[in-house]
Amino acid sequence: MANGFDRRSFLKGAALTAAAIGTQLVQAAPARAEGGAEDGKGAAPKDKAVKRPGSDFMVDVIKATGIEYIASNPGSSFRSLHESIVNYGGNKKPEFLTCMHEESSVAMCHGYAKAAGKPMGMLAHGTVGLQHATMAVYNAWCDRVPVMMFAGNFLDADKRRPGVEWYHCVQDPAAIHRDFTKWDDQPVSLQHFAESVLRAYKIATLPPMGPVLITADGDLAEEPIHNEKNLKIPKLTMSIPSQGDSGAVAEAAKLLLAAEHPVILADRASRSAEGMTRLIELAEALNVPVVDLGGRMNFPTTHYLNRTDDKRALVQEADVVLMLEVADPWGQFNSISDPHHEYRRLAKPDVKIIHISVSESLTKSNYQDMQRFMPVDLAIFGDAQATLPALTERVKSGMSSNQRVAIGDRVKKLQTDYRRMKERARAAAAVGWDVTPISTARLSTHLWNVVKNEEKWCMAVSGMQWNKNLWPAKEYYNFIGGSGGSGVGYGAPAAVGAALANRDKGIFTMTIQTDGDLMYGPGVLWTAAHHKIPILIVMHNNRAYHQEVMHLQKMAGLHNRAMDRAAIGTTIENPNIDYAKLASSLGLVSEGPITDPAKVEPAIQRAYAAVKRGEPALVDVVTQGR
Amino acid sequence: MRIKILTIAFLLAAAMPAMAQEKDKAPAGSAENGHTVYMKYMCYTCHGTVGQGADRGTGPKLAPNPVSFASFQAQLRTPRQDMPPYRKEFVSDQEVADLYAYLASIKPSPAAKELPLPNF
Ligand code: HEC
Repeated sequence: MANGFDRRSFLKGAALTAAAIGTQLVQAAPARAEGGAEDGKGAAPKDKAVKRPGSDFMVDVIKATGIEYIASNPGSSFRSLHESIVNYGGNKKPEFLTCMHEESSVAMCHGYAKAAGKPMGMLAHGTVGLQHATMAVYNAWCDRVPVMMFAGNFLDADKRRPGVEWYHCVQDPAAIHRDFTKWDDQPVSLQHFAESVLRAYKIATLPPMGPVLITADGDLAEEPIHNEKNLKIPKLTMSIPSQGDSGAVAEAAKLLLAAEHPVILADRASRSAEGMTRLIELAEALNVPVVDLGGRMNFPTTHYLNRTDDKRALVQEADVVLMLEVADPWGQFNSISDPHHEYRRLAKPDVKIIHISVSESLTKSNYQDMQRFMPVDLAIFGDAQATLPALTERVKSGMSSNQRVAIGDRVKKLQTDYRRMKERARAAAAVGWDVTPISTARLSTHLWNVVKNEEKWCMAVSGMQWNKNLWPAKEYYNFIGGSGGSGVGYGAPAAVGAALANRDKGIFTMTIQTDGDLMYGPGVLWTAAHHKIPILIVMHNNRAYHQEVMHLQKMAGLHNRAMDRAAIGTTIENPNIDYAKLASSLGLVSEGPITDPAKVEPAIQRAYAAVKRGEPALVDVVTQGR
Repeated sequence: MRIKILTIAFLLAAAMPAMAQEKDKAPAGSAENGHTVYMKYMCYTCHGTVGQGADRGTGPKLAPNPVSFASFQAQLRTPRQDMPPYRKEFVSDQEVADLYAYLASIKPSPAAKELPLPNF
């Protein structure tokens, strides 16, 4: 467009009007006109190149945090930073990963952080990208997982292009996320950006961890750096997670030593493999059964003290319960029936409860992820993994000889009970073995039989208890826990994020993918194919939002109405979705839909071979509801 | 009143075990129609299509070897806990008998040790 002419006449008119009413615009107009050869004649047009844009410095800052990937759906509000990442930064550490939805970007970060043990970044496009991101951010928040979020925005209204850019700009970008992020900032200078990104990184990764959001202002990014010699990227020193008070730890040891039926409930307790090792040490010192609530991988499924599937009975008979970073403490001891809302107490009224947790330091008012208030006998504020060695030490040093004998005597029964629990799971898995659609236990078994020779494996996302009940999982990286907030759409992108982290560590990644969850954002399959992220995706395709079918059945029963219409609005049939076709259209190797149980293992085997070649692959298996 | 009836029932049962068993016997039902009804009322969502039970404690195993017909009927009409009730208005006595016949017809699966289940 012949902008010169139009703009010139506009400016002239504007100047006249403004002069007449004496407004600020008089000053604004000539300032704009100075910038370019608006009159179209006279001096030769200047080269307007910005040789060292602010976004180059932003990339330096991001590099200083060690973030290796930035997942993003491209957007103009951060186009300068995007360009600096790929050109100035060489698209390495961070590498730009093309995503098809901001929910995918964040959920990838979520899965990645748990598998990698460190956060990665995502970039959201102004208002629209941030709004798309919200559900996944909420999941990460509920799961206490760090995500480094960056967002583009043009704060200075004077510079915004009219129209769409206004819709995509926001005065307070983090406002919609503030209820479920740990911290945010909107830096107004590059130095401010550097300090805030490092602060954000520290805050995000200190337990209780959580997502943080830094706005990378578009003008700051696009304009040249002024006075670069004055800019400094501060040193990044991570804070050490805090250990619980030593007196309280001694008290906890006393209670555990005196207990006859102690039990440990571990949820988001282990932050790394070391956490698991420490928990094993404590459990063995006391011979106390451990229930792994699964927020993280806390305890090997092969250990005779892992009694996860006996949780109910153990809590019922317990005299002392040690909870380690349990997300829902009340729910471990009490329940509310559904749909009649009848209160039931599971535990003994006089059970002594100890909770080691930092969760109370990160509680906000609006969203109710804090769960019901739970009175306990000893609340130790401290990071569970950091506190365990001191507790184990106290247990060992405080053990009387009588206690040592009693604790030693527990082994036999514990080993027998563990065996019984495992036999029960295997017997349950055998029931309905030949049924069509295939039983979830059989699917889980076939998958295991294909991958069992992998030295290092990770089942990234799975709602199936079978994987934990039937599979021998000995390593921290075998499972990474759940979504946190149970917001649908987490599964596929979180698994791809975990697979990305695991690709770099040589860990084979698989996931059990539910159908409804995949349809929230199937585009992440393309992201996996495009970036060559190997992952074996096995569909648990029950052709329904299965839980909602059951809810409708319950409501029909409650309301005394017909019991045969629960499929309306809850099932995903008519037409059936062909996930194999969907996956292959997005660049994956795929198999299915498989309805014959006998064909499941060979299909998984073929897909497995593709994953071993470095490709993502999907097997669509039509399954029982659960 | 209730105690009396129970006492009498107990005495009768003790004296005439054969008759007591007779009382517990399921009425005649069609396993084939039972399967249709089982699918129509979607018992499978919580119990699996062959009553194998569902993961995560969703619904217990129903077959093979279902509970007695009396317990079965009682559970359907007035469930113990969280299961939705299947009342007479919507599920007839004959349908209940058919459902039971279906569950009773389900053959046992191979034993766990005969299957390629992980074992460690
Ligand atoms: C929404 C889930 C749900 C549906 C649908 C459902 N059940 Fe149940 N069922 C349960 C649960 C949970 C129990 C455990 C007892 C309870 O909560 O009442 C149960 C228990 C039972 C039992 C008792 C088993 C035992 O070992 O004591 C029988 C029999 C049974 N269900 C049959 C059926 C039949 C037949 C249907 C369909 C007509 C059906 N259920 C539909 C959830 C369900």
